[in-house]
Amino acid sequence: MRITVCLAVILAVFLCLTGAGLAAEPIILGCPLPSAFLYGWDAERAIILAVEEINANGGIKVGGAMRPFKVDLMDSRDLEPGVPVSEALLALEKLILDKKADFILGGPVRSEAALAAMPLLSKYKKVSIVTTGVLTPKYHALVEQHYDKFKYCFRIHGEATWLINEILTCLIEIRQKFGLDRVFIMVQDVAHARASGDILSKVAVEKGFKISGMEIYPTGATDFSMGLIKAQKTDSQVLSIWMDMPESAILLKQWHDMKLAALPFGSTLASAEQPGFWKATNGKGEFCMANVVNAGNAASKATPWTMRFYDAYTKRWGIEPEGLGCSSSYMAVYVLKDAIERADNLEPDKIVTALEQTDIMGVYGRLRFDPKNHQVIPGFDPQQGAVGSIIQWQAGKRMVVFPKSIAMGDIQLPPWMK
Amino acid sequence: MNVEILIYGTINSVSLALYALGFAMVYGVSRLPNFAHGALFVLAGFIAWTLLNSLGLNYMLSALLSIIATAAIGVMIYRFVLIRVRGMEISEIIASYALGLAILEGLRWSGLKGMTYTLPVFMEGSLQIGAVAVDYQRLLVVAAGSALVAFLYFFTHYTRIGLALRGMAQDERAAMMLGIDSDAMAMAAMALGSTLAALAAIFLLPLGNIVVEAGYNVLILAIAVCIVGGLGSWAGAVLAAFLIGFAQILTEVYLGAHYQMVVALLAIILTLVVRPSGLFGRQKELEERV
Repeated sequence: MRITVCLAVILAVFLCLTGAGLAAEPIILGCPLPSAFLYGWDAERAIILAVEEINANGGIKVGGAMRPFKVDLMDSRDLEPGVPVSEALLALEKLILDKKADFILGGPVRSEAALAAMPLLSKYKKVSIVTTGVLTPKYHALVEQHYDKFKYCFRIHGEATWLINEILTCLIEIRQKFGLDRVFIMVQDVAHARASGDILSKVAVEKGFKISGMEIYPTGATDFSMGLIKAQKTDSQVLSIWMDMPESAILLKQWHDMKLAALPFGSTLASAEQPGFWKATNGKGEFCMANVVNAGNAASKATPWTMRFYDAYTKRWGIEPEGLGCSSSYMAVYVLKDAIERADNLEPDKIVTALEQTDIMGVYGRLRFDPKNHQVIPGFDPQQGAVGSIIQWQAGKRMVVFPKSIAMGDIQLPPWMK
Repeated sequence: MNVEILIYGTINSVSLALYALGFAMVYGVSRLPNFAHGALFVLAGFIAWTLLNSLGLNYMLSALLSIIATAAIGVMIYRFVLIRVRGMEISEIIASYALGLAILEGLRWSGLKGMTYTLPVFMEGSLQIGAVAVDYQRLLVVAAGSALVAFLYFFTHYTRIGLALRGMAQDERAAMMLGIDSDAMAMAAMALGSTLAALAAIFLLPLGNIVVEAGYNVLILAIAVCIVGGLGSWAGAVLAAFLIGFAQILTEVYLGAHYQMVVALLAIILTLVVRPSGLFGRQKELEERV
């Protein structure tokens, strides 16, 4: 009896000293994100918020124990001009090998970097959910084509093909309401924007729109006057903008100063997504529209969770959700938690199967992955799929104007277009 | 399209000249390639922004204090770092580039990232020139750039310090024999170069936003202009700014905007292949012949 008590005491002291008896081993989420850019820090903040909420509620139930999430972030630098893709791959590999990440969440964000990262994820069998940036349709096409190799790759936010569908539907609404049908396309010289611009120019023509021109700008461009003059000369009525660089705010200032009679519609327009856009343009960005990809990145009532997330983010970070990666990055953590708990395991192949069976009502609607290509299933109705949001800056606020199912206001034209 | 090419070509050229004048000034006088030039440009913008938004100072006062602070930082860079490596060209480049990196990445590290840092324009509104609308701030850039070039001409031709600076630029040893203090003049050149970088920031940044990355772009453009114009030649820098500025606009109109950045880099390569001394790099040309 005495020996048993002594052994129990020694064991208890040992466990206390090593900490093994007190803290469960965390599940490490490796996040390669460009932390100097909007699409990096908005995702980072959203992931941290979700992790804090989950850990505060006890963590993740796996293998009969409750384990917390731990976030390990590394700057992938993939949105910086002139930085090679290899930088993002180094960050990713360091997260896997040095930080021993169990899962990869967030980035790489630039499409080129995310595509290059796929073989690495496959090599190390790391389940990854990209949550922001990465709009190229090639990502999920590759999963479908080489399922066995790339089955670890998931994307929880909208991609270019669906975004174009949304944008085109919204453009048709604009045409019906205001009669605007001449579209001038301005894109940044990066893979997703170039490809999206090309696709839009083709499908828009099929839907009866006239494409009056297309300009491609290098990353970091600071003067858009000549392109805007071309748009003016060709009597363009809508500017379709695809740019994720901060300098895109300059374009809107120039548009306002020229009083160009074309409605700016940012299909991807990082600067206009941010709450600080109004101040950054001194209000000159009013009437600019921007696709914030998923609901929850601007105030709406898509699902009961939408405003709960919106308010929690605002309270935690002192600013509204900023870019297109907020709600999706937040939901990725919850979706992963759900999958781990259902799989009751961290084994990659079991998590893949569990993620393929995901079906939860999230911040931006019903979240399910297409089991063939691991792309989140989109929809115009939050009850059916992941719903997007197109906002318009009106009187200093981001007003959700599309899709109708979650719209909080109507699209307006600037006074010089009326 | 001709009127807009003329108008926006001029604006672009003057902007390039503003970017490059400070770099050309420092190199012209002290033969110091100040690779921290772009960083000083961005730093001036952030100083003005901080004074304006955090301390609530008047914009003109913020701009003035920012210019003075940047000039002082330029002096300190020379006094405490560059003076120690003066004459060792590679070390000068490495030291000034390292300082520039430290400034830019320090700004980024301190949280100054994103697209919400902007300076207000001096004049709101735009002017219609024919069918082309031009905002007042861009017209002000042209006026300020022209005034600055005129000021530099008179300063270097009709003031004691200016003449001493030119003396240094022409022949440092001869200037020293005439009693001109080489280090003092190099420090003055650094102060003037930094002032020019800050002035460029005050006039050009209200057109866009203050981002760290601009520091690298400004440096590349300044180097391109100075190489084409002839390193050390202020007149060459102005002429090169117009050549590259109009070439960029013509490229944008007739080829596409994404080739615009190639123009500056192509200009550097072509100049180095065809005429390494640049348009007005007379001293270098002489050295090459020897």
